[in-house]
Order: sequence, then C-alpha cells, then structure tokens
Amino acid sequence: MKKLSRREFLRLAANSLLSLSGAFALGGLLQFLSYEMDPAPPSQYDLGSAADYPPGSRTLLMHIPAVLIHNNDGYLAFSLVCTHLGCTVEQKDGQYECPCHGSKYDGNGYVTRGPSNTPLKKLRVEVTETGSIILHMEQV
Amino acid sequence: MKTIPAFKKDNQRLRAAQFARVFLLVLGAFLFIGASLLLTGNVNAAQNRQTASTPTLIPSPTPTFDPSRLASPETPDVPTQVDQGAVIFWGVCIACHGDRGQGLTDEWRLGAYAEDNNCWESECHGSDHPPQGFEMSKTLTFPPLGTASALGRFENAQQLYDYVVVMMPWWKPRSLTPEKAWQVTAYLLKLKGSLPAGLVLDETNASAVPVHRLVTTPQNENTAVFFFIGTLMLAMLGLITRDFFTRRETASPPNLTVVPATRPNFFVHLHPPTIPAAQSRWRYTLGAGGMAVFLSLVLLVTGLLEMFYYIPTPEKAAISVETIVSFVPLGALVRNLHYWAAQLLVIVALIHLARVIFTGAYSAGRKFNFLLGLSLLVLVILLDFTGYVLRWDEGIRWALTAGTNLLKSIPYVGTAFYIFVVGGREPGPAALIRFYSWHIYVLSLVCGIVMVWHLFRVRRDGGIAVAPVTERENTTRITRADLLKREVLGMFIGGIVLLIVAVFKPAPIASPIRGSTILNADSSAPWFFLWVQQLLKSGDPFLLGVLLPLAVIIFIGAMPYLFKDVKQNELGYWFPRSGQIVQLIFIIISVIIMALTMLSILNPI
Repeated sequence: MKKLSRREFLRLAANSLLSLSGAFALGGLLQFLSYEMDPAPPSQYDLGSAADYPPGSRTLLMHIPAVLIHNNDGYLAFSLVCTHLGCTVEQKDGQYECPCHGSKYDGNGYVTRGPSNTPLKKLRVEVTETGSIILHMEQV
Repeated sequence: MKTIPAFKKDNQRLRAAQFARVFLLVLGAFLFIGASLLLTGNVNAAQNRQTASTPTLIPSPTPTFDPSRLASPETPDVPTQVDQGAVIFWGVCIACHGDRGQGLTDEWRLGAYAEDNNCWESECHGSDHPPQGFEMSKTLTFPPLGTASALGRFENAQQLYDYVVVMMPWWKPRSLTPEKAWQVTAYLLKLKGSLPAGLVLDETNASAVPVHRLVTTPQNENTAVFFFIGTLMLAMLGLITRDFFTRRETASPPNLTVVPATRPNFFVHLHPPTIPAAQSRWRYTLGAGGMAVFLSLVLLVTGLLEMFYYIPTPEKAAISVETIVSFVPLGALVRNLHYWAAQLLVIVALIHLARVIFTGAYSAGRKFNFLLGLSLLVLVILLDFTGYVLRWDEGIRWALTAGTNLLKSIPYVGTAFYIFVVGGREPGPAALIRFYSWHIYVLSLVCGIVMVWHLFRVRRDGGIAVAPVTERENTTRITRADLLKREVLGMFIGGIVLLIVAVFKPAPIASPIRGSTILNADSSAPWFFLWVQQLLKSGDPFLLGVLLPLAVIIFIGAMPYLFKDVKQNELGYWFPRSGQIVQLIFIIISVIIMALTMLSILNPI
C-alpha cells in the first residue's frame, strides 16, 4: 500500500468528516420530516345497534368508507377503498366501480375487471353482547 | 470596422422582416378590435345586471293587514337569482316564515290567515289534518330570518344552503332542486342584507360569502384589463412602427464586441448586453426559452400575491381561493394568470425540448445543460401538480389520492417515502401544509436555482444556439437596445395572450372538500398526467405509474450520451441528418404520449 503523506491524510480526514457530518445532517432532515402530524385513521368504528341493519340489507358507510352486508350467513363487510390506487369505489347496480382507473368488483368485492388484481379488503364485523356492531379495519 | 454582410442577403432579410412587421401590425389591429368588441359586450351585460333589481319589501305592519303583502313579488323580464329566490320564498316559505322573514308571528298569522287563523285547532295542521297535509307541532318555532341575530348558526352561505337543501321546506324536505335552493339562499342573504351585489351564488363561491357580514364584490374588472391590453398593444405597435421606419440605418450595426463604459455584473452572466445576430433567429429558437423565463416571472409575481390571501388549512384552503376569485380586487385576474402561466409553461417547456431535439442542440458541449433543462421540466411538472393540489377542492381529491398512492407502490421504501412527502398515512391537514411547503418553498427555490444555472450554461456553452455554417464568420451583433426590444416584444405578445386567456377562461374551482362526503369529484388527472392515468388503467401501479414515466425521462436525458453527436457542419439547421435516430425516438415517444392522452380524454371512466 502506498504511503499516505501527512497532507493527503489530513485532506482525506477533513473530507470524510465533512461528508459524515453532511450525512448526519441529511439523516436529521429526513427524521425531522418523518413525523406523522395527523393521527392514524381509526382502527375500528362503532356502527350502533345491530337492529339498524336488518337481514338482507346492504348499507353504505361512506364516512369509513365501507359497506356492511347482512345476509343469511350473518354480517359481512368490506372496505370501499380501491385496492389499485386508493380511490373510493362507487356502487352501481350491486357492483362496485372505481372512478379513477375503472376497476370493477362484484357484490362480494371480487375483481371482475382490472387494473386492480386484489379483491376489496374484507373487514371483521363484531357483534357485541349489548347488540351493537363494531367494524374492525384489519383484514379478515 | 468589420465587413458588412453581402448586400443581397441583407436586403432579403430586410424584406422578410418587413413582412413580419406588417403581419404583426395587422394581427395587433385585429386583436385590438376584437378586444374592444368584447369590451362593449361586457358593458352591456353589466347594464343588464343593474336593471334587474329585487322587489322592494313592504314597510312595517299596519294595524289593519294590507292584503298586498300576500301578492306575488314582481320580477323583471330577466330575473336574477335573487329575484327567482323571492318568488320561491313567496310560494314555499312565506306561510311559516312571514313575508319579511319575521317568522310565524301572531301579527302575520292573524293577518294573513284571517278566516282560520289558528293553524293547530282547525283541520289544517292539527291531528285531523287532510291527507295531503301534515301535523305541525305546537312547540315548533319559526325563527325569524331577516333580523340581525337571525340565522345565527350559519357562518357562510354554503352552510345555509346545505341546511336549506336538506331540511326545507319543513313538511317536504329535499323537495327544492339545488338551483332553487341556491335561489332561496340568495334571497335569505338579501333579507339579511348580506348578499354581495351582482354575485350569483353557487358551490364555487358560497363558502366565501359570510351570512352575517356584507362583503363587497369588486366591480367588473374586465373593462380595466382590456384597457390595459389596449395600451400594451398600442405600445407594441409603437415599437414595431418605430422600428419599421428606422430599421434601414440599424440593419447592420457596427460590430460591438465591447460595450463602452460598462463593467460586467452577475446579471450580465444571465442576460448578455449583445449577442451574435447569426445565432438568434426566431425561426430557429422559436423564442421558447425566453418565453419560459417570462412565464416564470409571471408565476413568481402572481404566486407571491396569492400568498397574501391563501390559507393552507383543509377548512380554509378552498374558501380562501374562492375569496381571492370572488372578492379580492383583481384577485380573479391574479389567480387566472397564475393558473394559465403554469399551464403554458409546461407547453412552452415541451416546445423548447422539442426544438432542442430537432435542431441537435443537445450535442457536444451542451449535454450537461440538456440535463439541466430536462430537470427543469420535471420540476415544473412537480410544481404544477403540487400547485394543483393546493386548491383542496373536490376537483383534486382523486388526483391527490391516486398520485400519492403511487409513492406507496414503490417496494421497500414506499411507505416511508409517502410519509416524507405527504406527512401522514393518508391525505389530511398535514398533507396540505406539506404540499404548500413543497410548492412555494422547496420546489420553487430549486427550480429558480436550476433556471439561473441553465441560463448561465447557455452563455458558457457559446450562446443561445450555433449559427449555420455559412453564418459562422458573421460577427454582426444585435445591440443591447435591439435585444431588449425583441424581448419586450416577446413579453408583450405572451402577456397579451395570457391576459386574454385569463379573462375568458377562468381557472377551475369546485366545491371545497368537506370530510368524507364526496360531491361529484372529478376523477381525471391533471392534463399533463392523463397519459399516466391511461397507462394505469391497464395494470400495476409501480410498473406503469412510477417506473415507466421515470424511465422515459431518464432515457430522454441519456440520449445525447447514448447516440452520436450531430456533426458540427449540420448544426444550426432544423432536423440535422446525423441526429435522425434521436429525432425519430423522440417523435415516437411524443406520439405515444399524445395518443395515450387522447385515449384518456376520449374514454373517461
């Protein structure tokens, strides 16, 4: 290995220390900007009394946005956020259609037309002892 | 003293210049006449608006009830929104709210319904009401509408409208169409004395109209703008005609290599005092770079002005934009200029790029500046997108959602990058303030620096363009005065076009985003991203929405390095033979992007 002269060594040391402090500053900047100011969206919603959702009903909950279905098998819910790029799908004759890129889903949330390739997110529905419905936002 | 260029050639050039001048003169005259015609049309419209007034309200009650209070309000031949509102109020609301909005007072009840003056005990609204009627609770109150303290729960006309359209009339809610509900809202404001004169209420301005305070609408400012355009055109004509008569003496000015009594300052690095005449030909440069600088200056000034009123919070953003447009004097002009200058800047930048490609100006020694220019294009598009988002109305909802979710689709670092850009896990208040900072500070600053660098490199790399071989020995220079004149002329033409577009085609604004209620949100991307939206309709977000557009930009930037330089003797002409591969590739890319954009326009979802 070539012997490093004093001048070269000092220059190398100064440069690498400068780069290092630059990297620190950059890291600090990224950290500074990584704070999430807004609270994360709620993980569950209280939908009120189960009696409000009679058998055979299909209720759009646009504030979530999700749909709650009460059929013979009980309650079933899925999110109305398109799995392609996150626009809210619109209900049209029992189907769901995305206004942004045209994905379509059937009444059970399965893709009938691309570009989306994943069904709408199924959500867990809990009926409490007191008879109210809690919608959990995690995937079933 | 240097040699004077060949007489014949000079003569030809002179003739062409004369023709161009006459053409501009005729064009200017046409524009001026057109503007004047439109101006008079505007005056007529304003007069019409003035003659249409609302019916005067009858003065305070008399001991004996004046039956004319029950008469239908008179409307002029061309009823305004508030006139129509008065008629609806008379037909629908008056029974419970009184003829002056005083509420169901005893005076009104006994006077107006003399024969059966007790609403509850007769068969009208008691429990034995007729089938088409309804039962009215005795505890129901009919708050007065026209007094100072009335309508206390509503802050702005939008809130009042929202209530009216959903809750009124009491016995048959939601029976008013949106149009009629707006008319009634206007009439209620008139009763309150807070209806701005000449304003037609709708979802794009109602949030900015307070219920309890009268704001003044600016007078029709288009007249003033047209006078401004007129004076600009006269000045332009003056410039051209003066030039027309004095041109002969200055056609071939002496060779000025050094401007006496000037010391170069930094500005001279960006804007030279004189430039070689052979380099600067409109038909070669198209003036696109200069126009881009002018548009950037317009954007800087109008943007700074907008900052004095714009409030970057989700509740206030769209409302403050409505305020700028509807109430701030000359505010609509400022916003429309900002909007259109931004759109034109994208187009002018693309024309500039095409010019550079089709004249081979990217090669030898200018490769780095080509990269700078391309990054300016990217910065301008990012500035356009972030600025577009700042409206924070229903028009941007899906563009923001889909556009930012593209970041999430990047593997591994997607979510972190998303939070870095958006400031949260979904678009919210943090996203707005962050986009505001990106737009007015970070991107603008970087764009300004790169722009100055780009201009500096143009000079460093040997001037605006390479002259054709036959002209390279020509040392004639354009004098400072002539150069400035050309620039001023370009600015005048650009400015006039911009002003006319800004007056006739207002920048879009939709109703403010209010929580999760989605009101006919526009689902198409901003026009310069329509091709990406069209691509996204057919598959994977990361591949088609992130990688592909990025690859296109990187490939265009790499072309000067990948392909052979244009031969020196071919520079200075359009479509040099040795640059044909690059030109062909650029044409193919452009055609594909334009086709995708057209497809997206023709097949909206």
